[in-house]
Amino acid sequence: MKAKNKGKAKEILIFALFVFPAVAFVLFSTDVPFLMNLYYSVFEWNGISKDMKFVGLQNFVNIFTKDALFWKSAVFTLKFSVFFVIIVNILSLTVALVMSKEKKSSSVGRAFYYIPYIISLTAISLIWKFILGPGFESLYKVTGWEFFNWSWLGTGKLAFFVVVFMTVWQNLGFYMVNYIAGIIAVPKELIEAAKIDGARKFQVLRKITIPMIMPAISICMLTSLTFAFKLFDVIMVFTKGGPANSTISVAYNIYKEAFVNNRYGMATAKSLVFVVFVLIITVIQIKVTKSKEVEA
Amino acid sequence: MKKVRKISPLSAIIFICSLFWLMPLLLIFINSFKPYNDMLQKFLALPESWSLNMYLETWTRFKFPMLIGNTLLYTVCTVLIVALLAPMAAYKLARTKGKLSGVCFVLIIMPMMVPFQSYMITLTRLVAKLGLTGNRAGYILVSAGLCMPLAVYMIHGFVKNVPIELEECACIDGAGKVRTYFNIVLPLLKPILTTVIVLDTLATWNDIITNQLIIGGNAEAMNIQNALYMQFSAQTADWEHALPGIVMSMIPSLVFFIFMQKHIVGGVTAGAVKG
Repeated sequence: MKAKNKGKAKEILIFALFVFPAVAFVLFSTDVPFLMNLYYSVFEWNGISKDMKFVGLQNFVNIFTKDALFWKSAVFTLKFSVFFVIIVNILSLTVALVMSKEKKSSSVGRAFYYIPYIISLTAISLIWKFILGPGFESLYKVTGWEFFNWSWLGTGKLAFFVVVFMTVWQNLGFYMVNYIAGIIAVPKELIEAAKIDGARKFQVLRKITIPMIMPAISICMLTSLTFAFKLFDVIMVFTKGGPANSTISVAYNIYKEAFVNNRYGMATAKSLVFVVFVLIITVIQIKVTKSKEVEA
Repeated sequence: MKKVRKISPLSAIIFICSLFWLMPLLLIFINSFKPYNDMLQKFLALPESWSLNMYLETWTRFKFPMLIGNTLLYTVCTVLIVALLAPMAAYKLARTKGKLSGVCFVLIIMPMMVPFQSYMITLTRLVAKLGLTGNRAGYILVSAGLCMPLAVYMIHGFVKNVPIELEECACIDGAGKVRTYFNIVLPLLKPILTTVIVLDTLATWNDIITNQLIIGGNAEAMNIQNALYMQFSAQTADWEHALPGIVMSMIPSLVFFIFMQKHIVGGVTAGAVKG
């Protein structure tokens, strides 16, 4: 009996030795901060002063009744998500269909599409700032085309378009790779059989390839949607939500609330609302794509 | 019969587009050698001379050796911590049934379901309370902690497919648990570990937001991305120095890509299955 206890103690010790360090890291950098959110969200607090005023659920009520900017950011995030998800998925799937043909030339092409994805967002943002600034200015002088003289980052509509364009440009390669992985896994026999039966290219695509790569499609839809919902770094580095808050995303709104407006309590409350939003979207998304997969 | 290869118009367009896809990078590269006036006058032209003067000036004036040193330190430390601890935890969690194991797994996985932005405010708060703001060690701790959940999750899934018999053999042969892990299990985890290392290397090298939150205004401890952002993102950017800076910050990523191409693509695909 004693020996058994000793063995058990040793087992727990080994378990602790293996698992607890990783748990400690995650507790420190994410779990504990997340729980602190729940606590701070019921206070009115500027993040510095000692007196925190308990306000109960008032912060949440204010978000839903008074905070027009938060809703503006929600509308922007939704609009951006729709554009980004549709454009990036259609384009990357098209590119993947061409690039999945195993030829030497396509491996170079793949790399070209992929490279922007491995470059840091800071560099990407500065690159586009340069091209849209001095670059376009110079092209306008040479060509005289009004297009180059538009205020790309100075007007709301154009800035929205630029953000969509830039994120699509950077991320297309990532989705392309996912689609290629899916397309390569489609059994060749199926396609050959269909061709022998007289199916045209487009029919093969619609009736065989697309249904067979449904898992890849749902993964890409899901990742692109969550990416769009969490859109943050791009906004912070690139537009700072401007001009006139036309490109302010929910995540950036929360960041500003905390670090610019110094309203910690309110910001933590907003981030909880944000978590709920993201969770709801994720669940709906999984449900929808899963049901599509079954049909196929 | 002559076989004629037909190239559809769509394929042609996509191949041509792939050449244009890197145009922005190419433009940055050629303009990084020009004086500012030439950028404005001859944006598309090749530079008149390929002089490295601006590169050298940027290198010294903006303390690039220090920035690259910092970024390298952060990346190496983060990846080492994750590559050491994540497989240990993932392996033990996958092999142990029971409440404690379940709770630990949930604690590690939970952050994958909530966006970073929702706890970054309180994270900054916590780091400040512990006096770690502006501190290199503080940043490494946070950065490793942020990489841990996905790493553990991916390895956990992989361990399930590793046959348990090998470990039992080792046990019969008299190897202890720790030795079994390091000698038998760890080598088997190599494929997924490579993926994890690639993903975390790119993520840490390219990180800006966490660095900014934790390092704050301490210019000595900034990573390269954060410093670039701080120095060049203002409206009236100093493009003559910014462009060489951008190019120098991208070179390590590009070299890494060239050498690790196969693993990067595999790694990203594997990483995407996080749901």
